[in-house]
Amino acid sequence: MFVYEKKLQYPVHIKNPNPAMAKYIISQYGGPDGELSASLRYLSQRYSMPYPELKAVLTDIGVEELGHLEIVGTVVHQLTRNMTVEQVEKQGFQDYFVDHTAGVYAQAAAGFPYSAAAFQVKGDVIADLAEDMGAEQKARVTYDNILRMCDDPDVIDVMRFLREREVVHFQRFGEAMGIATGKMDKRNVYAVNPSFDKMK
Amino acid sequence: MSDKDTCTYKEGPLPSCAPLAVPMLAAQQRSEPAYESVDALTKGTLFPGLDLPFMDYVASGPVEASPLTELMALDFVCQELALYLDTHPGDAEAFKKWKSFKALAKEGRKRYVEMCGPVTRGETAMFDSWVWPEDPWPWNGRKAGKK
Repeated sequence: MFVYEKKLQYPVHIKNPNPAMAKYIISQYGGPDGELSASLRYLSQRYSMPYPELKAVLTDIGVEELGHLEIVGTVVHQLTRNMTVEQVEKQGFQDYFVDHTAGVYAQAAAGFPYSAAAFQVKGDVIADLAEDMGAEQKARVTYDNILRMCDDPDVIDVMRFLREREVVHFQRFGEAMGIATGKMDKRNVYAVNPSFDKMK
Repeated sequence: MSDKDTCTYKEGPLPSCAPLAVPMLAAQQRSEPAYESVDALTKGTLFPGLDLPFMDYVASGPVEASPLTELMALDFVCQELALYLDTHPGDAEAFKKWKSFKALAKEGRKRYVEMCGPVTRGETAMFDSWVWPEDPWPWNGRKAGKK
């Protein structure tokens, strides 16, 4: 069950419309390494996780990612809400504008719609956690690349915050990996898949 | 673990000999040192050991002070401690700290709701009418709506 909180995790106040910037930041909304992918990945991987600590990590990080989805959606909304058709044309936003006007749609920077094909639920403890660590790194690099291109301090500040969350989540998934492998057969952690093979 | 006290807050102990083909990442040892709550929110982490910015992209100053950012900061510290506790469930000191921040956040939430309106739909029960739909919604940013 989820309860909505009518507030963001981090404040977003963007003064100037900038559809060109919205066009690449949208990738962290509905792109391959974006926040929607992150939350669906973790919240879906929970079901086959046998260890309580890992159920908690996946739930708590998955829910935080939903909060980040809302932050990125807010950034895209505020970058496009007062834009003029002239800005749309000058900044190369026509492709998006013709289909979505100033709405926020889950798509990648390159224009393809959100796809669950960007992530996996393998149903194997080590494989899923290794993917999660990789996912946090990929999201971190996406924010690095966004930061390289941004020139609006109002936007940079939010991207910087979200990027740092990826570093923290990477650490927690690494610790979760340690907890998981610590519970497995020390001589060969790959002997069975504790998500599927019944133990004892 | 005898290595524990030889590692700084930016490090964690790893075994000197470790199995091949098993992923290992140094675990954070304790929930200290920690930033003060507004600093933590501003930086995006409670823990100086995990504060690893890209190039020189660091906050130019603390998040602008307001009743909302004060609440955000307390909730953020609770979130950071909760994620830490998920992978360190036996850390009694961190649990104690989480409980004390949870109490502060609860107090802060009550004051905020009275002043600015409900944060959860259920909190609308503290009001005389159905004020839940009133602006601003989180994505509206600073403008409109009564504060």
